[in-house]
Amino acid sequence: MAYDRGTGDAYTGPLRRLLLVVLALFLILLFLVWRIDSPRVERFRAQVVDSVVPRMDWAMVPVTAGVNIVRDFQSYNQLYEQNQELRRELRKMSAWKEAALQLRQENARLRDLNNVQLDPRLTYITGVVLADSGSPFRQSVLINVGSRDGIVDGWATMDGIGLVGRVSGVGSNTSRVILLTDTTSRIPAEIQPSGQRVIVAGDNSAAPPIDFLENPDLVRPGDRIVTTGDGEVFPPGLLIGQVAQDPGGRLRARLAADYERLEFLRVLRDHGARRVESASGLILPRDLPDAGDPLPEPLPDEPNDG
Amino acid sequence: MAEKNAAHLWLLRASYVMLALLFMFANLLPLKTTPQSWVGPDFLVAMTFAWALRRPEYVPMLSIAAVFLLADFLLHRPPGLWTLLVLLLSEWLKKRDRQVRENTFAAEWVTMAGAMFTLFLAYRMVLSILLVETGAFSLWAMQYGMTVAAYPLVVGLSYIAFGIRRTGPGETDHSGRKT
Repeated sequence: MAYDRGTGDAYTGPLRRLLLVVLALFLILLFLVWRIDSPRVERFRAQVVDSVVPRMDWAMVPVTAGVNIVRDFQSYNQLYEQNQELRRELRKMSAWKEAALQLRQENARLRDLNNVQLDPRLTYITGVVLADSGSPFRQSVLINVGSRDGIVDGWATMDGIGLVGRVSGVGSNTSRVILLTDTTSRIPAEIQPSGQRVIVAGDNSAAPPIDFLENPDLVRPGDRIVTTGDGEVFPPGLLIGQVAQDPGGRLRARLAADYERLEFLRVLRDHGARRVESASGLILPRDLPDAGDPLPEPLPDEPNDG
Repeated sequence: MAEKNAAHLWLLRASYVMLALLFMFANLLPLKTTPQSWVGPDFLVAMTFAWALRRPEYVPMLSIAAVFLLADFLLHRPPGLWTLLVLLLSEWLKKRDRQVRENTFAAEWVTMAGAMFTLFLAYRMVLSILLVETGAFSLWAMQYGMTVAAYPLVVGLSYIAFGIRRTGPGETDHSGRKT
């Protein structure tokens, strides 16, 4: 209260200045600690989020549902056309269903012949989206499963169809999923059928660009993009999307997951995933002495991008 | 009379915190999970600056720090930096309330726009010096413009809902002192 010249503020003036200095120093310190040792502060963030967001849940669910109902209501205008279109699609789909059933039977027979065991590691936990990142500059969602349900940092999340993102920040009841569209997301991927290795690098747009493509001539729009097991980031073979070309000629990934409506997410259990325990654990190869597991001491001068 | 004033003061301080929680809640609603091509105004900053300029006693340092630190953690920002800048700028605005009070609304608006500009510029500069990803410049510019444009709205709503207005000459503050 800026009445410094008033007589009654002879005490409060210096006290306020002291408080301001203390607060400012604390905030600077917090920011610097975050920059230097980000995993620790991010864990703290996960705990804060964990204790705050589930308490808002009782109000968030009805408000979100209400807004979605209003949006759905707007689409009633086109109900008739939609209905017609759906009927047409249904006719096509029933033909596909027939084909799929036949394929499934054939597949089951062949599996039986081969004695195949399905990979038990690729089981999943389903979570509900609680909240989004709340900022236009970050793309992430919070889901309602956490370390209590056995979620571990670094696991892949999918909706029913395609890859959605990567778990980063686990509280006991909630965890944060960094979406593929976030500016910090970098996913090693492979383009099929040419088999070229690329990085799908999020840039805060709906279709993340494809980086480090060796030979663009071998790739054409429509090719499938799947994850590779490179760097032990994700299990191999998860569908990311299709290659598309933007008007500027740049190749981008059109994501298979439905980002318009992220409601239920599957977190894939991946017990082979490398856990990030020290500051540079994910960047350095494992057999270096300071890579994490054998000696958990991070190098003091190691660049650390949070 | 003094007791009633004190109750009113604490009521408004509490409503600042409640409103801030409401803004965070609205931001966190998972309505749009695709990247956006436009950004709305940052109502939390606009409200804080408006109240700091008009009635500094309703936004004490500790509530600003607590509210913005919580927002930093919830909204996935680097913790501490945004809070620090908002805190320092709002203190600067509180110091200027005397000059602004005797001036027109346009002068107040310009002061606020300058503070916002400093806030955005300093935030982006510190982050880029420390090599932290800051997001597209166009989005930042848009958010700046929207927030400055929304300022009269925020001031108007604060006046209608909470009676936050500039103190005129000869008015007394919550403890009965002349301002």
